[in-house]
Amino acid sequence: MTNHEGPGITRRRLLAGAAGGLALALTGGRLRSPAEAADPGLGTPPTDQPLRTHVARPLDAETPPQVFTQYLTPNDRFFVRSHFGPPAPDLVAPSVWRLSVAGSVERPLRLTLNDLSTFDEITVTAVVQCSGNGRAFHRPKAPGVQWEKGAAGNASWTGVRLRDVLQRAGLTARARHLQLQGADRPVAASVPLFTRSIPIEKALHPDTILATRMNGAPLPLLHGAPLRLITPGWMADSCVKWLTNLTVQEEEAGGYYMQTAYRYPSRPVKPGEVIAPQDLKPVEAMVVKSLIAAPQQGAILASGAVMVQGVAWTGEGRIEKVEVSTDEGRTWEQARLVGDEAPYAWRQWRFLWRTGGSGRRTILCRATDDRGQVQPMASPWNPGGFLWNGWDHVQVQVREA
Amino acid sequence: MRTRWGQRAGWLFLLPVILLGPTWLATGRAEEQPADQQAQRLLASRCAVCHSTDLIQQQRLPRDRWEATVDKMVHWGAQLDKEEAALLTAFLATYFHPEAGPVVTLPAAPSIQADQAGRESGTAPAPGGAAARGAALYKQNCLACHGEAGSGGVGPKLAHNPILAQADRFRTTVSQGRGAMPPWGAVLRPQEIADIHAWLNTLRD
Ligand code: HEC
Ligand code: HEC
Repeated sequence: MTNHEGPGITRRRLLAGAAGGLALALTGGRLRSPAEAADPGLGTPPTDQPLRTHVARPLDAETPPQVFTQYLTPNDRFFVRSHFGPPAPDLVAPSVWRLSVAGSVERPLRLTLNDLSTFDEITVTAVVQCSGNGRAFHRPKAPGVQWEKGAAGNASWTGVRLRDVLQRAGLTARARHLQLQGADRPVAASVPLFTRSIPIEKALHPDTILATRMNGAPLPLLHGAPLRLITPGWMADSCVKWLTNLTVQEEEAGGYYMQTAYRYPSRPVKPGEVIAPQDLKPVEAMVVKSLIAAPQQGAILASGAVMVQGVAWTGEGRIEKVEVSTDEGRTWEQARLVGDEAPYAWRQWRFLWRTGGSGRRTILCRATDDRGQVQPMASPWNPGGFLWNGWDHVQVQVREA
Repeated sequence: MRTRWGQRAGWLFLLPVILLGPTWLATGRAEEQPADQQAQRLLASRCAVCHSTDLIQQQRLPRDRWEATVDKMVHWGAQLDKEEAALLTAFLATYFHPEAGPVVTLPAAPSIQADQAGRESGTAPAPGGAAARGAALYKQNCLACHGEAGSGGVGPKLAHNPILAQADRFRTTVSQGRGAMPPWGAVLRPQEIADIHAWLNTLRD
């Protein structure tokens, strides 16, 4: 990666970015990047590895795209999305934490972490992506955290099959949905809880897991310790953190976070159009997407050969190809898919770019999956600003070598 | 750095994207309006209870969306009467509208009593200026719940609270959170928590 800035410069730049995102206070008081936090128990990143903070409390912070040159996104650089922030650590300590399985089941369960460890262990490498990743790029703008590129990451998740746990409880004939509730609570009781549900088919899918480990390490508190649901191929609105209650039921979960938020129109809509509730469906599978990890936005490159690299993934299919354009989308050339190929993980790609002469240049990329989904130039507008997968782009400055 | 790119980006015709995270500058450039001042006070004291105000400032919404958002927040528990809600909505729609661009310049933020208290206690120990830093950090992170000059609110009164005498307990309580208080360990450095502690120690009744 000869085209990279030195790590020192990179770091300063990132810190400047993070500070920019944080220097938003009413009063000019300074918060620092969570990356500088010291308490390792909170799973916070060490000083030299910042995230970019959008919301200081509860924490919403995204991964800088250059981290995506790595296949697995490190835990301390993995984006953090909080509705209310993590529960107090003593509420989810192993001695008090329990997973309840109730509702339309033959044998309700109350499991400790030890009980869970008696099920078969499974590891799945999967992309976890916030439904609102890229919201900042939608026009007109949609309300919500203004995520750009980095509310996504690829990690290996280890735990037990949700299916095995549900089978021990025994589903009744009325089982259609699985309601999920975590231990996180809003500041005021008048705020709706983050209660979600997934259809029972996804719950019984052999790759849907109750994860206790992330990239081989115990799940950090910010990422849902002690237990988080992972629904590979689906957006992270289903990947409930700090999980404590599974309720098998006939209907989707009620409440704001299932019935109003995280819904997407099932037909094309015009910006601002009023959409009938029956035309809005829960956000589920991911759409095909690719990102450029290097070179970085704003990089100054010597003319000649430059290695462009990035990642590409899709929901429930495979990545077929990634294309790169360096002439603002007029022509596209195929990048080389490299590294591991695993069902729900992202695929890394590389493209050797001969820059030609000096000047400001834009690098674009787009991916295509085996179902014929192609990344569009811009994604369709929707009221929640979900599922952005427009072409990724990076501008660089090419100088004579 | 990102600003430079955003301003010159002639290729923007190609993609409906932005490069800039929105920012908010509280400078004294814009003319001071009492209504704007009151709106900013409401943001700090009524909105920041559940989430920091950066979530609000990064939005660029038309008036009807702001109305719906403020309504939703009141429904969820934001303490605003009708008049205050209208005033705040007008403020948000004026400064954080879809064409506002990435950087919004606001009138100077209102001064708060807390500043006063800090200044008046000129004899109180302020090691290395830490208390001065603490005043700003307190305003941004704690004031909404613990009130002006630590006088109490959603959270207990902090001025003269016995916990101030136990630096360790103060630090762990703040860093790990307690009950309805969020844990601050992911947001504030131990040094910054100590700065707030130093500032709280300077407060008089
Ligand atoms: C009682 C708690 C509470 C208070 C007080 C509060 N909010 Fe919120 N606000 C929330 C919650 C909860 C969310 C959604 C957070 C999430 O899902 O990530 C939210 C989200 C938002 C959003 C993001 C857009 C959206 O609709 O999700 C904006 C903007 C916002 N609030 C503005 C305000 C303003 C302005 C005030 C002051 C009038 C305020 N909030 C006060 C709880 C509160
Ligand atoms: C969202 C509201 C909220 C915010 C913001 C908040 N607190 Fe608190 N704080 C509380 C509540 C509520 C309690 C009481 C908790 C309990 O004991 O159940 C509390 C308790 C405390 C205590 C313990 C007081 C005692 O009597 O033992 C300290 C110290 C404290 N907060 C400091 C801070 C500091 C410093 C900040 C800013 C960094 C802050 N708080 C921000 C709500 C808040």
